[in-house]
Amino acid sequence: MASKYGYGGGIPERRVRPIWDAIDSRQFKNALKLTSTLVSKNPDIPYALALKGLILERMGKLDEAFSVCITAKEMLFSSSSILIDDLTLSTLQIVFQRLDHLDVATSCYEYACGKFPNNVELMMGLFNCYVREYSFVKQQQIAMKMYKIVGEERFLLWAVCSFQLQVFCGSGEDKLLLLAEGLLKKHIATHNLHEPEALSVYISLLEYQSKFGEALEILSGKLGSLIVIEVDKLRIQGRLLARAGDYVLAADIFQRVLELCPDDWECFQNYLSCLIGDGSNWSKGAQNNSIHLPNSGDCKNLHLTDEMFDSRISRASDFASKLAEKASSDSIRCPYLASLEIERRKLIYGRGDMDKLIEVMMQYFCRFGHLPCFASDVETFLEVLTGDKKNELLDKLVESCGAPVTAPKKLLGQSITIFKVRELIGDMFTVSATDIEGFAVQMADLYCKNLPLSKDLDIQESVHGEDLLSMACNILVQLFWRTNHIGYLLEAIMILEFGLTIRRHVSQYKILLLHLYSHWCALPLAYDWYKSLDVKNILLETVSHHILPQMLTYPLWNDLSDLLKDYLKFMDAHFRESADLTFLAYRHRNYSKVIEFVQFKERLQRSSQYLLAKIESPILHLKQNADSIEKEEGVLENLKCGTHFLELSSEIGSKSLTFNEDMQLRPWWTPTYDKNYLLGPFEGVSYYPRENMQFQIKQMEANTLKKIERRSLVPRMIYLSIQSAALSVKYNIEANGSLPEHQVPSELRILLERYANILGFSFHDAIEMVSDFPKGHSSSEVASPNLIEWMNFAVFFNAWSLNSHEKGASHRDINKTSSWQLVNSFLEKQIVEKFRSMRPLLSSPGSDLPVVVQMVTEPLAWHILVIQSCVRSSLPTGKKKKKGGASEQSNSQLSYEIRDSILSVYRIIEQVITWLKEQLQKPVDEGLDMILSSLVTKVPNEGPGRVFHVIETCVASLNDTELGDRIAGSLRCWHPADVGRKLISGQRTVLSELLKICESKIKSLQTLKLQI
Amino acid sequence: MSTIRRFCCNDLLRFASVNLDHLTETFNMSFYMTYLARWPDYFHVAESPGNQVMGYIMGKVEGEGESWHGHVTAVTVAPEYRRQQLAKKLMNLLEDISDKIDKAYFVDLFVRASNIPAIKMYEKLEYVIYRRVLRYYSGEEDALDMRKALSRDVEKKSVVPLKRPVTPDELEYD
Repeated sequence: MASKYGYGGGIPERRVRPIWDAIDSRQFKNALKLTSTLVSKNPDIPYALALKGLILERMGKLDEAFSVCITAKEMLFSSSSILIDDLTLSTLQIVFQRLDHLDVATSCYEYACGKFPNNVELMMGLFNCYVREYSFVKQQQIAMKMYKIVGEERFLLWAVCSFQLQVFCGSGEDKLLLLAEGLLKKHIATHNLHEPEALSVYISLLEYQSKFGEALEILSGKLGSLIVIEVDKLRIQGRLLARAGDYVLAADIFQRVLELCPDDWECFQNYLSCLIGDGSNWSKGAQNNSIHLPNSGDCKNLHLTDEMFDSRISRASDFASKLAEKASSDSIRCPYLASLEIERRKLIYGRGDMDKLIEVMMQYFCRFGHLPCFASDVETFLEVLTGDKKNELLDKLVESCGAPVTAPKKLLGQSITIFKVRELIGDMFTVSATDIEGFAVQMADLYCKNLPLSKDLDIQESVHGEDLLSMACNILVQLFWRTNHIGYLLEAIMILEFGLTIRRHVSQYKILLLHLYSHWCALPLAYDWYKSLDVKNILLETVSHHILPQMLTYPLWNDLSDLLKDYLKFMDAHFRESADLTFLAYRHRNYSKVIEFVQFKERLQRSSQYLLAKIESPILHLKQNADSIEKEEGVLENLKCGTHFLELSSEIGSKSLTFNEDMQLRPWWTPTYDKNYLLGPFEGVSYYPRENMQFQIKQMEANTLKKIERRSLVPRMIYLSIQSAALSVKYNIEANGSLPEHQVPSELRILLERYANILGFSFHDAIEMVSDFPKGHSSSEVASPNLIEWMNFAVFFNAWSLNSHEKGASHRDINKTSSWQLVNSFLEKQIVEKFRSMRPLLSSPGSDLPVVVQMVTEPLAWHILVIQSCVRSSLPTGKKKKKGGASEQSNSQLSYEIRDSILSVYRIIEQVITWLKEQLQKPVDEGLDMILSSLVTKVPNEGPGRVFHVIETCVASLNDTELGDRIAGSLRCWHPADVGRKLISGQRTVLSELLKICESKIKSLQTLKLQI
Repeated sequence: MSTIRRFCCNDLLRFASVNLDHLTETFNMSFYMTYLARWPDYFHVAESPGNQVMGYIMGKVEGEGESWHGHVTAVTVAPEYRRQQLAKKLMNLLEDISDKIDKAYFVDLFVRASNIPAIKMYEKLEYVIYRRVLRYYSGEEDALDMRKALSRDVEKKSVVPLKRPVTPDELEYD
């Protein structure tokens, strides 16, 4: 703010400085006092008012701030004698922007620029306004005006960027780029270019239009000297040549880059592709939007004869060997990996030999096998081997492990690598349970025995062999999947908790634990570990998928509310500030960042997670307030009765949403957030190979789209259902004016139809589906993945039927009255069946408890609202009741149905409460004994407990001298029983929270019972 | 082995495995984007053969006269890629840009006084402790201001250690 000191509106700096000082030190009251004096002494200077507005805004007095600034604006516009300066305008701009009135700020600058047509400073302010509004055309026009006035390179580039934005982010046609190119050419002819970024914009313009030859010419001409670092220039040259199809020359250029930077892997791949004439990397559209680009293994037909291919490949091999010879240290791996890539390409093009690849891989292993990244380095190369060859390689690795290695750290590294390769090739899923259990024991043993190697490490540094415990956990979870024995699951948790006792900063362990505790219904523990990851800012977008989907189905509403709030706050803050940062890039002449920033903002705006959070946040509010119809109506009013979300739902189809979650760190058993293998039977290796991942991600994306579309209908359907219920009580209609009566059923009908369509059914088929449910006719398989949605449908359908005279409402044997019975029995059957089939949480991980939570807090809650609405409308309000024989009769029928429904819902919740209380009454120690006993090995060398035993032995046998003070001290804090106790208490918290919700519902039902 | 290139916004969506490390701070968006908007040459990312983010460096160039210098704001490497001299490569790149493009006199960085492994690493990279900044980190922990002279500082004047520690308000730049 210090830069704002000045002579705004002609007021001397000494008078303004104390005000800014007060603002900067957040003494707003004082600042306001000083400003009020300033305003009274300078009543006709808008700057004083603008300052006042700014302070009021900071104090949270938004309406006052707006009105003061509008007065200032009117003052500016009304008198021609008033001085208009950028300081006044920019102060007003800040306030209007904060108050979400960008248009008013823009109009101030537009007025000022109209009044002083050649004032570049004001025009820059106006340009900035257009940047904030993302008005690319206006940006371009004003930039061109500035360029014409002062002829500066930067303004031309501002215009060029605005042209590019119109094409890349707006609806502008490609020919605009030709226009931009022409402008640049003209400028270069008279003024030349002086900024490296200007050159790169010029080249990108040409490149986008496929004018590679021209771009190359410019790069090698005088302008090329703007790029100071030689390899940077060569890289661009290589790319342009390759895109132009001149692979031979491009290969030469990439070779030169590699001579200067021998460790540049991407460059080597480019070199090799060009050498053999594979242009698949360079074709337009090769770049996709995915966060993690898959390695291209596309087999394109090459236009080379066998001889040519062989000679090019041998040239590449020679070059790779030369690079390897020159590589002075073992930190340069590219030349060695290059040999592997050469063998891989040979195989892809049908000219290779797997044995040769294995041979080269073994050489690579001897040199780099001890590095933690070995396995991920070679993942791509393993993919081209057949299953048999993969196993052959594995045998060779095992054989050679440790051969020439004497250093214990290297030996440990190699052993870990072999386990990782096993994991990669899916070997762990094909061998017998006993064998993989043996591996897990070996891993734990290796970890413990090597702990002394970490004796002198700082707490900041990773303990040697940390990966072993994650891998052992992976095996134990698989054994749990295979056998359903909870001992394995507990053991997996134990070893990770043990690892975190030794060093508390291993995020990999925390993520695994988070998912294990989630699976075991101990969500508070999962959330604690999530919090310990300190996920904030942009990580909220990429990492919160580990916890958010579970939280949405659990009753930890306060935590969920924090999670959603923090995330939405972060995203919205970014959308607010992004344009200012774009302008910063303009000002600092980093033009390529301008386009990047705008595209990035758009990408985040289209984030599926963002949209979902925007919908789930109000749904959470609705759930939290559902026990009171008045409160619920308050929430709905704030949501504009759900209309906004309706629009959103309609737009989903036309929007291409982005999925920015980083799935890489998810555990194998839940590769996407809508998939958990542990909930189904053991499928063995069928989840492999990893190509399935792409398919699963696609499926998850499609499911998410449907989910968002569906969920965004819910608030409006709740609103309409409440209205419909009220209208159904004939003698007490009191429409609130927001919607004509007759529109309620018709709109609800449309939404029900849409809801059914999203579920894959027509309206009538959907009705048939729900009406068949209680009779047990419907296939539960069809409904089970969307059970909650079907229950919602039934509830909203009933609300609609109350008022509809349409035929569909009395479809088949359903009529107005029986739709109550239908919904009662549907809810009762589903909920009661669900929790009756549930075993205690502790002995049955993967419980259906979250489903019960959703049933109670969503469809059941919405149904109670419908009942509440009916009851409220049937209560005398002091007005004269309408009397009429037929309606009296139908209302008494209705009140009978309502009473019946209240009793039915009451019964359901009572049963849930009884079940919950039973669970909570069980003594903690009993549960603890039960789970800890699952770790006692009953048969020697078999069953859960062996890995745990290794750890226990380690704790007992290693001494302080071997381990060093720090590790020894941590080991003394290791108490496995505490882990068990924490698990039980986490589960109990979940049960207690659900109990609280149920008890509150019972209370509101009791009131209803009395009312009716 | 890595591909080192300019950091771009999309990399913010890919660096979770690096930033989940407890010593790597995840700044707010305007912090990263200000660096990208002002000093894109000082913000680089290293990618593995499998397209994973291995680590990154962010920095800036600032100062006047003989204190015109490159500054390392953050340098970090994912656990899987440590002990391979990747941080060294990234540091050398930033030094090179400070030296050749911006003709700076030195490069400096701040490190927690307790972060012994990092201090040792910087010393290996020829950085010297220029001064101690008292209670620099959240008013609690001291920072060490470490410097390395570039070719323009022929007499290596910029790296002669100060005799006394300074307080954060005595620092020339934020």
